[in-house]
Amino acid sequence: MEMSVQTDKPIKDSMLVNIQHKVGKLGGILPPAILIVVAMTIIPAFSSSFWIKAFTSSAVFSLAALGVALLYGRLGLVSLGQVAQLGMGGWVVLRLGHGTNLPFVIVLLIGGIVAGLVGLVAGIPALRMRGLYLALITLMGAGGFQVIVNGTGFPDGGPGFLGRVESGTRSLLARPFFAQTDAAYFRFVIIVVTLGFLFVELHRRTRPGRAWALIRKSDASALSAGVNITLYKTWAFALAGFLSGIAGGLLAGSIGQLDGRAFPASDSIMLFAMTVVGGVYHWEGPIITGLLLRAFPSLLNSWNVDGNIAYIVFGAALLQALITAPAGLAGQLADASRRFFQNRTRPSANEAADSDHKKRNEQQ
Amino acid sequence: MPNISPFIITGLAVGAVYALSGVGLVVLYRACGVLNFAYGAIGSIGALLAWQILEYWDVEILAWFIAIGASTLLSFVYGRYLAPRLAYRDSVVKAVATLGFALILLGIARWYWSDDPRHISFQMDTVGISILTVRITLTRIVAFGSAVVITIGIALFLNNARIGLSMRALANNRDLSALLGIPVPQVETRAWLMSGFLAGVTGLLLADLVRLDAIVLTFMVIPAMAAAVVGRLKSLVGTLVGGILIGLFEAIATPFQTISPYRSVIPFVVATMVILWLQRHKQVALAKGD
Amino acid sequence: MINLTTRYGAFFKVVIVSSILMTLIAACGGANPASAPSANSLCGLGNGEAATAAPIVVGAAVGASGGPADFSSASKGAAAYFNCVNANGGINGRPIQYIVEDDGWNPEQSGQVSAKLVNDDKVVALVGNTSFLDCAVNGQFYKDSNVVVIAGVGVPRECFESENISPTNQGPRLSSIGAAQYMNEKYGATKFVCMALNIPNFGNWSCDGMSEWGKDKGITVDQVIFDPATMDPTSLVLQAAAFEPDAIITTMPAPVATALLKAAEEQDLRAKYHWFGPTSLYDLAFPGAVGSYWEGYLDVQIELVNIDSAGSDNQNWLKVMDGYADAKDPRDSFSQAGFLAAKIFTDTMLKLDPAKIDRASVTDALKAVKGYKSDLLCSPWYFGPGTTHNANHAGLMVKLEAGGKWSVTKPCFEVEDPALAPILELEKSQGLTK
Repeated sequence: MEMSVQTDKPIKDSMLVNIQHKVGKLGGILPPAILIVVAMTIIPAFSSSFWIKAFTSSAVFSLAALGVALLYGRLGLVSLGQVAQLGMGGWVVLRLGHGTNLPFVIVLLIGGIVAGLVGLVAGIPALRMRGLYLALITLMGAGGFQVIVNGTGFPDGGPGFLGRVESGTRSLLARPFFAQTDAAYFRFVIIVVTLGFLFVELHRRTRPGRAWALIRKSDASALSAGVNITLYKTWAFALAGFLSGIAGGLLAGSIGQLDGRAFPASDSIMLFAMTVVGGVYHWEGPIITGLLLRAFPSLLNSWNVDGNIAYIVFGAALLQALITAPAGLAGQLADASRRFFQNRTRPSANEAADSDHKKRNEQQ
Repeated sequence: MPNISPFIITGLAVGAVYALSGVGLVVLYRACGVLNFAYGAIGSIGALLAWQILEYWDVEILAWFIAIGASTLLSFVYGRYLAPRLAYRDSVVKAVATLGFALILLGIARWYWSDDPRHISFQMDTVGISILTVRITLTRIVAFGSAVVITIGIALFLNNARIGLSMRALANNRDLSALLGIPVPQVETRAWLMSGFLAGVTGLLLADLVRLDAIVLTFMVIPAMAAAVVGRLKSLVGTLVGGILIGLFEAIATPFQTISPYRSVIPFVVATMVILWLQRHKQVALAKGD
Repeated sequence: MINLTTRYGAFFKVVIVSSILMTLIAACGGANPASAPSANSLCGLGNGEAATAAPIVVGAAVGASGGPADFSSASKGAAAYFNCVNANGGINGRPIQYIVEDDGWNPEQSGQVSAKLVNDDKVVALVGNTSFLDCAVNGQFYKDSNVVVIAGVGVPRECFESENISPTNQGPRLSSIGAAQYMNEKYGATKFVCMALNIPNFGNWSCDGMSEWGKDKGITVDQVIFDPATMDPTSLVLQAAAFEPDAIITTMPAPVATALLKAAEEQDLRAKYHWFGPTSLYDLAFPGAVGSYWEGYLDVQIELVNIDSAGSDNQNWLKVMDGYADAKDPRDSFSQAGFLAAKIFTDTMLKLDPAKIDRASVTDALKAVKGYKSDLLCSPWYFGPGTTHNANHAGLMVKLEAGGKWSVTKPCFEVEDPALAPILELEKSQGLTK
């Protein structure tokens, strides 16, 4: 009896470890796959009108947060102007959507490209700037955009460059024929967001990703490895702008019109802050950010809690994230799942991020 | 060409407002290496408390005292207990952390003092002089005067007083300063106290001159940063001049009908141009520090 | 002792018995003793019975937070009225469940909360809406969902040009034109400056309305349009003064007007120009906010009757607010408008079969409302056919006087907006105001 128990136990243990390892490897693909399936099927089926719209907005902002996380997590660059690029993308999509007969997807891509070009142009001064000045210049850009869009507003079916209607009815942007209902549009947004994440993942696994990783370690080591820092930093800015622009277009399609007052510079700051809280080193981070920015306030609303509580919670979460958990909520999630699936041989996500920061500071 | 002379006067008045906030930001940055996003929020809590005091007791001196005291206290709490935990992080992280503090304060301010419109006015508002057909109240003159006096005073302090020099050393390199025997926590705390005091004064003046609204006062930091940028985050006199110039250009644009609705963009345009100009020689990568 | 058998005794007998009888009647019939104002006649059926049957769900979308002012006072007026109705028999026994949502001045949120009200809460109608965004973002959605909005307060143009939305108020354009008419009549003003916000279909629309009104009268209107977040009201006031007008209007919500008027006070301009405003400035808290400097120097056009009017509907409004609303809820024009919207809704519903109250029947009933009289209004209200609805186009003028009081300076007069012509035609041909 004892003999069999003793031989059984090691076999059981190793089988368990084997399964844990395999699931751990799958652990890369499984959670996002499950999330996508849930998003495409369960959420539209069981959500009220209120929540399907909240989740659509959350998904849109996840895409914008992805751009911010890309710049900060992969390159250590702080962009406090991504909501402005969201607005630019939305503006282009509205103008072309009202003014031309191009299909929605094409217009969406153009919106993304225009915002991406702006990101590219903004990326050029980024090359020469470090941390704070870059953050400030993007903030100034966001501030400037806020004033301009307040005055110009967004197109609503009128003539001329600004496309505003002075008298007569204002139009809403038509949704694509395959995404007319809120549920169908949500699924469309999920598909676009997934493609966005895959696009970034593709970058990460190929040359740009390797170049960015080197640049993050230090510009000096990147230079000595022969990496064209100019190119890759600019590429990152353009990519972040592209993602935000697409997000803006999706938002325009969701609501049908955008308001000049809805893109203040303070929102860009909030987006950055919540991206840090969500986590910039894992794919779950931007998704958590989107939910924090749009689903959490909706939750407070439906519980009849004063919306200002959200500010307090966000502020505290941001402080906590920066002081104790630099990898954000996603990092803490990753730690938890790592403890479940694998051995404790690798440092936790937050420990890794911490040492990263210390190394960067030593080099600066 | 429309008559711009009255707008020169209002421009100087608005510019003083930008300059005051900008100077407060730069002072803390020079002393602690932190660009304080919570500067406006700290001031706004002080201003709202002052309004509350005036509502209950209508004693102005008490209101000023409580407001400035509260702002100083808030700044002290952050500087003493939260800021040291981020001491070794880079300047952007330190700045973003102050943003977290700002959000907490903003949430508290809006939750307790709801969105209702309020305004605050002081005895100073009733006294004024006329310059070029424009009437300037004593409050504006005090704002302008304070900006100048504070700038010169602190510039002298940072250059000459022992504590001032310690602060500059601290901002430069914390570890080396400690090695030199500078009492790091005490010096830092004093810098935050100073900044909190300034935030309280600025908040009250801005609440009177602009609007008593938590969101407006909190995000006044953004154009204030434009002024701070013109001063290269280093020079107090530069910030003062920058803030005043930005206010001037913005006000002078008022009578020109085509650009008038967009004149608030001027602080950002000026700041962006200054940043680009300052960074034009920097080489890629190997430069140390900002 | 009184001898009840004598003739005088019989008289006393009658007096005593009838007093007892009257007290009994009062005690049984009324919910309150004679000293407190009886709630019975204020609202709905007025029978003092709490309604307990299946509730009728009604919604409202308001811009309470996130903008230059809190615009929920119309919904608060409506809520007070609905509370009163529920305590007085409801809609033939059915209470009203009133759900108010805040759109936070954000179009995303506006779409979200309206979808919630219409699709999730399944409201039969929306009463008391006041939002700068709702009409534009959700107008088509309301039409597609066959739900009607009796707006408490319509502000931008879309609220007056949307098929399923009909406000009880006039709108800033009419209110501004009406005020300008008075300034022209009383002070001979022919050169105006219109100061307004650059919110689409609000600022420009109102100021352009003044221009159109003045076009063939030799009246000029210059505009100063600005961003509500401006930090420099003094420059704006100086810009207005640079046109050297006779009169300056501040067409904006009260808090922004307060800041402008404060800047004007700093420059001591009250006597140099005639200052006036639309109904948004008319509330009991405004005089305190702008201070005694402006007493005697501010004329305001109001879209509904003055707050201290002795009319029975107006007095009921005040009593309902005192009895069923929070003490802090504003008693202003917008609150009156919300009260009126709720009253129109209730009176219309009382005519329907309580078992057959659903969205379709409610929509048909509300769209058919016409000739609805109230002393809160200058002329009868109607929902109106077609896509343009602006039943309220006559108002009064008040002036800010000593002691922070408002006094009526001109009773009901029609606003002469040229754009009203098709509506006036329709009123005549279809007898909508009878």
